[in-house]
Amino acid sequence: MPDRSDHTQATLRQSLQGWLWVAPALLFLVVFVYGPALTNIRFSMFSFSAMSLDWDFVGLNNYLRLWNDPKFMTALTNNAIYAAISVTCQVGVALVLAAVLEARVFPNFSANLFRTALFLPSILPVVVVGLVWQLLLTPTTGLIDQILWETGLASWSRAWLGEPDTAIFAVIFVSQWQWTGYIMALFMVAIRAVPRDLYEAMEIDGASGVQQFWHITVPGVRETILIVTIITILGSLKVFDIVWVMTAGGPNHSSEVLGTMMYRAAFRDDMIGYSSTIATVIFFIALTIGLVQIKLQKDR
Amino acid sequence: MAAARSFPALALLNRILLWAVFLTLAVICVYPMIWLFLNAFKTTNDMFAATWGLPKVWHWENFSTAWNYGISRYLLNSLVVTSATVVIELSLATMAAYALVVLNFRAKAAIYTLILGGAILPPEVSLIPLFRVMAETGLYNTYFALILPNVAFGLPFTTFLIRAYMTGIPGELREAALMDGAGEARIFREVYLPLCRPILASAGLISAMRVWNEFIFALTFVESESVKTVTIGVMSFAVALRADWGVLMAGLALSILPILATFLVMQRQFVGGLTSGAVK
Repeated sequence: MPDRSDHTQATLRQSLQGWLWVAPALLFLVVFVYGPALTNIRFSMFSFSAMSLDWDFVGLNNYLRLWNDPKFMTALTNNAIYAAISVTCQVGVALVLAAVLEARVFPNFSANLFRTALFLPSILPVVVVGLVWQLLLTPTTGLIDQILWETGLASWSRAWLGEPDTAIFAVIFVSQWQWTGYIMALFMVAIRAVPRDLYEAMEIDGASGVQQFWHITVPGVRETILIVTIITILGSLKVFDIVWVMTAGGPNHSSEVLGTMMYRAAFRDDMIGYSSTIATVIFFIALTIGLVQIKLQKDR
Repeated sequence: MAAARSFPALALLNRILLWAVFLTLAVICVYPMIWLFLNAFKTTNDMFAATWGLPKVWHWENFSTAWNYGISRYLLNSLVVTSATVVIELSLATMAAYALVVLNFRAKAAIYTLILGGAILPPEVSLIPLFRVMAETGLYNTYFALILPNVAFGLPFTTFLIRAYMTGIPGELREAALMDGAGEARIFREVYLPLCRPILASAGLISAMRVWNEFIFALTFVESESVKTVTIGVMSFAVALRADWGVLMAGLALSILPILATFLVMQRQFVGGLTSGAVK
């Protein structure tokens, strides 16, 4: 048995060693993630442009200005619609699709083929997906319009990305096209971890597939459902690339989201302080979602 | 076994309906890519005349035109940024995970929370201050301007994955090695790293896909053709070629060909790797 001072020394040495091993990772996070996020909050209290030497301290005026900016409400609403549709498709629909593929309704070979086909869009760069769908959605010459013409639905034809009523929905649709299959594959992994005999027992009792889904699959993958829901909501909050590529927030700011609004303010309109204010709002919404997740996981 | 896993009450009609649904979804997911590759061989006029059909004449020169427009350089830049990011990220995450699993030290739980917490913050939140740092330090418009933030924003999830895997490695292995007089660095290198190979492959794949497709840093922190990655490259490409759809589509097709080919050859490993972490 080592005596007390030896023990303390050993603990101290391990502590020091522990810190050394995590230091590089911590350094990266502090310098490139947390530090800038805090600096950003400070920036939001000033009014300045990229080149200006004078920073006007404006306190919370940027926030007041944001609150009164009609574009802010549009953006916030669009993020919310984005989240609602994404959760429905990527959690609801994806889970049902995964349950069907895992229930051996199809022969193995076809089930694998379906999984690969539905997974495929998720490996493509968002930019390429956005540009390809832009071409597909082009009025008259695009594939979607041609399908509508050929099937006698010509009256539905429109400039999906060019009209304020449809632009954001077209973008959201493309995002569902890209990610539903990926989340489905995640759920398939989770469903495979649910004990088989639960299904067998219910089947002996004569339960239908739908009953098995509600009573075994859903409770069995509850943890995954929670995490995927949070990730999807966070993803809808920070969405930027697909919107920027497909509509850049237009036409007439109708498809603006917080990310595009922030980016435009900083790098197009040169209002750095105002842009930081938008980023700070994104920060606090993300923080709230994160805290809710921690709370929900603890309550379980 | 297989019978027990199927829905017993499923009528033939239901089965047909499910087939129809999945076939439709599969076509919707795959056809846009087929459409892209077929139309990449057409002239703009052919495309307007018949966007459905096979090309009447296969215009292979669309691809060489696109290649010479700079796609090759963008692909190279993406390769450099992606491989550097993955190597640095995996090294740092594996080290941190090792300490978090096997060593006992003060504030360990707090440090883990701090690392994981980074996953919540969207890149937008750090973008403007980072941009200023890049400009002031001269990192702006270099590979490092993309590599460093990409590493930082990837670390939380990568550390999470590797740590979860390491907790499954029996502690007795380390204790036995300690008895034999091995230090932590040696145990890390000779015991833990070899055992972690499967999760390192998965985490590396996830990280590589994320960096290869990364957009907002690439849009903000670089501007020269010589450092632009393929995601931003195709954007400028698309602006320059608005009128020449055939060449534009050939360029888009070329830009995704490396990923697509790898995916089709190794789809099982791909799906398996990209979905690891789905269950704890």
